[in-house]
Order: sequence, then structure tokens, then C-alpha cells
Amino acid sequence: MSALLFLVWTSARNRVVSVLRRVQSPRYAAALIVGVLYVWSFLVRPASHAGATSVLLGQPTEMLVTVLMVVMLMGSWIFGSDATALAFSPAEVSVLFPAPLTRRQLVGFKLLRAQIAVIVNALIWVFVLRRGGTALPSPLRAVGLWVLFSTLNLHRIGSALVRSSWREHHGAGARRHRWSIVVFAAIGIALLVGMFDGRQELLAAHGLGGFFTALARALSRPPAIVALYPFHLVVAPTFAHSIGEWGREILPALGVLLAHAWWVFRSDAAFEEAAIEASAERARRLEAARSRRSVAGTRPPRAATSTIELAATGRPAMAILWKNMLCLRRTAQLRVFIGPAVMAIILGASTADSGADAGEVVAACALTFAGMLLILGGRLIRNDLRHDMLHLPLLKSLPIGGHEIVLAEVASAALPMAAIQLLLFAIAFVAADVSAHAPLSAGVRLALLAGAPFALVTLNGALLTIQNGTAVLFPAWIRLGPTVSTGVETLGQNVLSMLANLIVLALALIVPMFAAWLTITMLAPYHAPALAVAMIVAAVLLGAETYGAMRFLGGAFTRAEPLQTA
Amino acid sequence: MHELTKLYGNFTAVRGLTFDIAPGEVLGLVGPNGAGKTTTLRCLAGIIAPSSGSVAIDGHDMRREPIEAKRALAFIPDEPHLFDYLSVEEHLRFIARLYGVADAESRTPVLLEELELTDKRRALPGELSRGMRQKLAIACGLLHDPRALILDEPLTGLDPGGMRRMRRTIAARAESGAAVVLSSHLLNLVEELCTKLLVVRRGECVAYGSIKQIIAARPELAGRSLEDVFLALTHDASGA
Repeated sequence: MSALLFLVWTSARNRVVSVLRRVQSPRYAAALIVGVLYVWSFLVRPASHAGATSVLLGQPTEMLVTVLMVVMLMGSWIFGSDATALAFSPAEVSVLFPAPLTRRQLVGFKLLRAQIAVIVNALIWVFVLRRGGTALPSPLRAVGLWVLFSTLNLHRIGSALVRSSWREHHGAGARRHRWSIVVFAAIGIALLVGMFDGRQELLAAHGLGGFFTALARALSRPPAIVALYPFHLVVAPTFAHSIGEWGREILPALGVLLAHAWWVFRSDAAFEEAAIEASAERARRLEAARSRRSVAGTRPPRAATSTIELAATGRPAMAILWKNMLCLRRTAQLRVFIGPAVMAIILGASTADSGADAGEVVAACALTFAGMLLILGGRLIRNDLRHDMLHLPLLKSLPIGGHEIVLAEVASAALPMAAIQLLLFAIAFVAADVSAHAPLSAGVRLALLAGAPFALVTLNGALLTIQNGTAVLFPAWIRLGPTVSTGVETLGQNVLSMLANLIVLALALIVPMFAAWLTITMLAPYHAPALAVAMIVAAVLLGAETYGAMRFLGGAFTRAEPLQTA
Repeated sequence: MHELTKLYGNFTAVRGLTFDIAPGEVLGLVGPNGAGKTTTLRCLAGIIAPSSGSVAIDGHDMRREPIEAKRALAFIPDEPHLFDYLSVEEHLRFIARLYGVADAESRTPVLLEELELTDKRRALPGELSRGMRQKLAIACGLLHDPRALILDEPLTGLDPGGMRRMRRTIAARAESGAAVVLSSHLLNLVEELCTKLLVVRRGECVAYGSIKQIIAARPELAGRSLEDVFLALTHDASGA
């Protein structure tokens, strides 16, 4: 085990050293300063609005976190989205698997390595939650978070082992893990029963807050409350308000953690099969590149049974767009686009017989999904330079200018994303039309719909240019490839990077928004048309800013060298 | 290539390399591991920018006219860089559009046949063996009929039949007027195909010219095998 400890420790240390060495470059040094200031202002700066963040530690949030935890774990049981939680790097497979190590040592190694992400994110959340205005010291909160994230990590590995054993050994695998399967199935059924019992309250709830309050009420009654009990135990220390409360709650939470550790170590019979399968899956996706876990695109590309036509002549950059569209079509990423529209319609339709205004629900859901897609879409869809920087030598040998490559890559993600958001806007428009409580006049709705294509294309383009810019300017500091880190244990880092992107977008929007305001003021007598014109003016300005950024990134791409992505 | 130097921080990967290749010539770039061969080829292909010196392909300066220069060349690396989600045929269509190969429709089947990829034309890279992926990378490089062909360890991963065909292909491209640069540790390949040699060590040129010219400059090496010549040149240069 000391060799494995050595591997984890030296790998982590060398990674940090190699990241810090980059600071010798002025570009990375400037980024580090900005990053430190950002982290300081977001996490460390003395809190001035403790009340605003104290909601994070309230009872509803505790219930919400518990429910989200169960939903996430159910996802990994049902869909196996975390199968790659077991993945080893090709080097680890070829060196560690033939080495004289027991399975338990390998499982221990995997858990040990995951602790780096767990600890970093526990610390991030300690800073976020320290503004909660409670008397609990930060170190105790850190221990609570560590227990929570470690349990989640163990559970994901355990469920991946059970699923793999079941898949590999069919009936025998299922029998071997029957108690795990029965327990988790019982939990799932109990939660479904709880939600079914509280369906009237859920459907009658107004707004997101109302929905979660109704959900919390529905799950606070048997049998759901019994099913959620172990999860409550794990979550409770993080939300403790005093040292005494924490002291009472930490031991049961540690008990659940230890039970998970026992379960995972007992489930290791299928470990090699599962780990090799997961590792092969990861290696296949990234081939010679470094491999990471993925939100979307965890499945292998579908066979090339059908294609999209591409003429041999014309603008060369179109070939990049075409390539990325095929990627989108052949990976699971399409579900990200189609899912929200389908969900908006289903949610609306399901309220039709409960007396609620179905049109209003559909419109609200459609617009919410459109907004979520704008903010989160870039993390889910990565068929752009964040993926293709791994092919930097190939791209750089092609006869295309750097800015054209950047434009084509950004468009590959931005255009499909804008298309589905536009579809959601159209659904909202139609739904609001049939709703009895449409909040906006028909003219304003029409103006919004008319301006939406321009606004959506440029907003997505700008946000994705920011994200692609990070890949071009700081390839050594970010994860390249079709994947992003997932799991609650990396949520802290993900939230920080998402907020940073939104801050840059907000800065880019200052001039366009001012121009939009000016346009509306000047065209005040023509209320609805003024809105459409203002959206278009803002979109044009944001588009111009984005194009300027792309030209700059094109230059940086031309100067980028393959070693920088190493 | 004129006085090419490439620095990585304080480390000099390539120092003052100068050579030229006329149409129809095949230049063999040889040297021990870490000599700067791949860096030289990458500079030649426009993948990395030289710290000083210049590169021109088919009369186009790589710094001033990178698009035109790149349109005239093909770079085939030792590790095939392929896109996971494009089939064999789609890789060729992608390349055809990038290089504007108007007659790609008729050339593609011939190329696939030549490289024995016809049966695999709908396969994704993940379904191909290492050798087949290498063949696909070669097909991508040859589709637009480049004026300059740059190959880094071209026989890596190929079976004996594939190696023989690859040697013929390189020779045929040179005969049809392409300038070829290849880097290889396989000295028999170099001896068979190359009209000129550039021997590098620690980023510097230790010998340049035809094998006859190199031996003429070092008469004590006359009558020895290319392997002995290579070892003598690179050993001498190390000062050992």
C-alpha cells in the first residue's frame, strides 16, 4: 500500500508543481492573480450579507440536499452514468493490475485518489457556508462535508461495482449483490410512494420555492421519511448549527460512511472486470489523450450508419462545423437538447387534469429550461475547442486561419444550443397564448420571439467563446476532452468556474445592454417593436464583441503549441 | 528550412538547421532519441513556430503565408490523430473539404483500395486496429496530393505487407514530384528511399547530404554499413 500512497502523493505533488510552473508565463501569471482575487472575493472576503447565505444552512436546503443526493445516486443505479467512477488510467491498468496487489488494495487506491477532489471541494464549501451565520466552527463543518462527499463517492463506486457484476455475471451477479439491490430498490419505491401521496400538493405548488416546500412536506411522511433516514444522517452534520448538535450527528454519519466502506470492500469481487471495462471505455473516448469522466457523451459513439452530406469544395471551416455536428449526432449529447423541450410539454400536460393553468406551466418550464441550458449547456456540450485542443497538432497543420477555427468550433456548440432554446421560446410563446394568465401582452411576446434568435445566438456564442477561450489560453490548467468532472465532490470547483464565466459575460453585456436601454428609450412610443429592435441592437453589439474576442483567440490558437496542452 | 532554431525556455531543441528538398527528393532525418527530429518536422508542418529562422513550403513562407504553405503539405505523425466519431470515409471527406479536393469522390475509393481500407470505410477509429488507424492517417495525408510530404516514423504500427506498400507509396509520391521528408530509426528504410540524409544530434546538424557526400567528408567510414556510419556520426558528435 505504501507504493500506492507514494503514487497518489507524488502524482498530486507533481501535478501542482507543473501547474505552478506555468506561472512563469505572463499569461498564466495574470490568470493566477485574477483567479486568486476572484476566489478571495467569493470565498474568503469577510461576509457582509450573512443573512443572504444563511438560507443555505436552513431546514429546506437540508431536505433539498438530501433529496438531490438520493436523486443523483438513483441516477447512478438506474442509468450507470457513473460507471467511469471506477476508471483507471491506461498506465495504472498496465502497471497496477498485473502487480502483486490485492483487489482491496486497488479499491483502496481508487478511494484514496478520490480523496483529493473530496478534500478540495469540502474546503470550498466550508468557505461558501461559513457565511451562514451559525455557531459551528469551520473545521467541524469541513469534517461534516468530508463525510458527506466521501459517502457519496463510496456509494457511486459501490453502485458501479454492483451494476457491473450484474451485467457481467447476470443472475449470479444479481444474487451476489441482492441485498444492495433490494435495499436501494426499496428506498426508490418508498420515495415514489411518498411523492405519489403528495402529488396534489406538488401540482398545486406555485413557483420553484413552493414546489420544493411541497416536496419536502411530501417526503417528511412515512414511508419516504424512513427511506431518507440514512441520507439525513449523512447530510445532518453539514447543516448543524452548534457544536453540540454536530457532536450528536457526526457519529451516526460516520457510521453510514463506514457502512459504505464495508459495502464497497465487500463488493470488490467484480472489481477488475468493472475497472477494466470502465478504463477501456475511458481510454477509447480519449485515446491517447488524458481521460476524464463525462456528463454527456459517456457512451461510445454510435456506429456510422448514417451521415451528413458535405461538399468537397467551399469554405474549409465548414468541415470543422460538419465534423462537430456528426459528433453531436453520434454521442448522447442530443438528449441534452431534446430533453428540455419534451420535459416542458410533459410537465404542462401532466397538470392539465389538476386544475392548474397548463399553458402557464408549460411556458414557465420552457423558459426555465431555456435559461438553464444557457447557463449549464456549455458544461454539457463540449464539441468545440475544449475537446479539439487534444487534436492541436492536427488542427494546426490544416490550411485554415486560427480565428476561423475558433469561429467554427464555437458555432458547433452555440448554434445547436440556440436552436433548442429558440424551440423552447416558441413553445413558451404558444403556451402563453393559450394560457388564461399570460403575464405579457401578445405584442411584447411577439417582440421577444422576434428578437430571440439574434439574442440567443449571440448570448450562446459569447458564453461559449469565453469557455473556449479558457481552453485556448490556459490549456495546461483546464481539463481538455469531451468530458467534465462530475459528482457532488467536484461541485465546488464547477460552481466557481461557472460563476466566473457568468461574470465575464456580464461584463461583456454592459455596452450591449446600455445600447438596448438607449434604443428602448428612443423608441418609447413603439413599445413592442422597440423591444425587438433593442434586442437586435444588443445582439449585434455583443456579436461584434464576441467576434473581436474570436480574432484574438485565433491569434492565440495560432501561437499555441502542443506542449502547452500537456 | 533556413537557420531554424527552436527553444523551449532555456532548452534548445533545434539549433540553426538549414536544408532544402527539391521536388522528387526524399530527405531522411535521422538521429538518436531526443535529437530534435519531431520538433523539426513540427516546425516544418507549421504546428509549432520556430524561435528563429524560416520555413518555406512550395515557395510559401510559413510565417507570412501559412495557409498556402499548409495547403501544399501533408504531415503524417507517428501517432495517428483521428477523430473518434468520424468514420474512415468521413475522415477523407473532412480532409477533402479542408483542402478543397474537387475530385475527392473519385480519388477516395482508389486511395481506400490502395491502403486496404475499403472494407472498413464505414468504421469508426475505435473499431480499427493500430495499423489501420495509421493507414487512415496516411490516406488523409495523401488525398490532396501534397507537394511536400512530411512523415514521422511512417512505418510504425504497419504489418510487413503494409510496410512494403508504404515504401512503394513514398517512392511513387517522390517520383511524381513531391518533396518528401521522413524521420525514422529504420536505417534500411532510409537507405532504400532517401536521396539525402540529415543527421541530427542534440538539435544540431552533424551531417547533411547524400550518403556518398557524407562518406566523402569522412573517408574513414567508407565501406561501412549505414548503421555504423550513423553510430559513428552521432557518437562523435557527443564527444565520446
